[in-house]
Amino acid sequence: MLWVFLLPLWHLKRLLSQGAGLAAQSRFVPVAEALPWPRWVPGTGSPGSLSFFGLDFVDPMFTFSVWASKAAQPGLFAAAFVGVALVLVLGRFFCGWACPYLPLLAVSQATRRLLSKLGFPLFDVRLPRWLAYTVLGAVLLTSSVVGVQLGTLVYPPSVIGREVFGALCFGTFTTASAGVGLAFLFDTFISRAGFCRSVCPGGAMFSLLATASPLRVVNERAKCTDCTACDVICNLGQQPMTNQLDAGCERCGRCIAVCPTQALAWRLARPLVARSEKGET
Amino acid sequence: MNRRALIAMAATAATARLLPTQARAQSPARLRPPGALTEEAFQRACIGCFRCAEVCPVLAIRFPRTFSLESALPFIEARERACVLCMKCTQVCPTDALTEIAPQPDVVAASVRMGEPVLDRSRCLPWTGQGNCRLCHTVCPYADRAVEVVGPAAAPFFHREACVGCGLCEEACPPDVHAIRIVPPLASPERER
Repeated sequence: MLWVFLLPLWHLKRLLSQGAGLAAQSRFVPVAEALPWPRWVPGTGSPGSLSFFGLDFVDPMFTFSVWASKAAQPGLFAAAFVGVALVLVLGRFFCGWACPYLPLLAVSQATRRLLSKLGFPLFDVRLPRWLAYTVLGAVLLTSSVVGVQLGTLVYPPSVIGREVFGALCFGTFTTASAGVGLAFLFDTFISRAGFCRSVCPGGAMFSLLATASPLRVVNERAKCTDCTACDVICNLGQQPMTNQLDAGCERCGRCIAVCPTQALAWRLARPLVARSEKGET
Repeated sequence: MNRRALIAMAATAATARLLPTQARAQSPARLRPPGALTEEAFQRACIGCFRCAEVCPVLAIRFPRTFSLESALPFIEARERACVLCMKCTQVCPTDALTEIAPQPDVVAASVRMGEPVLDRSRCLPWTGQGNCRLCHTVCPYADRAVEVVGPAAAPFFHREACVGCGLCEEACPPDVHAIRIVPPLASPERER
């Protein structure tokens, strides 16, 4: 359950840097100067584009979307290299570890559990897998036609990042939050983590690159008691119990943490390319 | 599934590049941060990551509050908080929607054109004989080049070609006077003047 602890750290760093910004904005200069900002904080930026200890990370979806919009400047691919390389190795880890939608998703899951305890009927509509890829393609295509990066308007990390920044530094929220709210309602009442699983264009981009990732959760069947705890805890509909994982696995490790017999473990294995023809939809 | 999706994605991106370029806007509706590409290229290249806004030491860079296609594009509201020309934002932009500009006064003067000053003399205090204000001249980083005081009333006179459009004068101009506005530049090919 390491992610539970890592996630607040990520946000704490941002809160620190932006809280100092808030102090500067309020012209409460002594506080702003007392806080070791911004030199102490080794990183700046949103989840969509982060500079951390001198390394640049740019979300692969934005990299390709800017390229598809014929707007790529020479520096873009150098800046995007680290991010793409990380995804090629670690797969869709961003979704499971760093996405700022995760706290909202946790609330959504808790709401679902509560509702089911209270006896409300819960829907879990399984949307087809290709939907996310279609959304991604539509974002690439229409961004180029319209001339604005539409990913910035529909991709939760991008939207939430700006909302948090605006709230902390200017005390404002924008109507752009409404889209994230819709995703939250969808995930809570219609389909479990359905937005992440089958709508989010950034997640689709990660899934595509994750095809080459060698990092996988593997079930040693000899230790497995077929209790299905891992299948149940997975937000994205993966089935680690029967080793039926695809590139959609977000490497969050919750299945490993929940396994009562330690049957699941991280393994470096051959990429999933050859195994991806399960015909999952 | 994934191999097919990869091919489809590559084909989509290639198609997107072949589609005709639709120019959304030749000229920005608001001031863009320094070093911005032409408005059309800027809108294509900006990914709304707000790194520029986060490194801004005076928090001059902000985002629209209402949802529209331009929700994620940063702008400067000079009257609220003007740019201090530190050029930090130009150094962190990952997509180079803001091209890097060295933070030296001469380089900044030569390459930054965020907007152009428009003075309403019917509101300006010295021009209307209401005293000896000169706030705009005092705060201007390029005083005597971009704005000089002229005549017996020491009234401000702006030189558009020397003004970088940082908006410090608009911010300094007394709120109930508000004689100066920095308007976004019209689409001009000589941006890198």
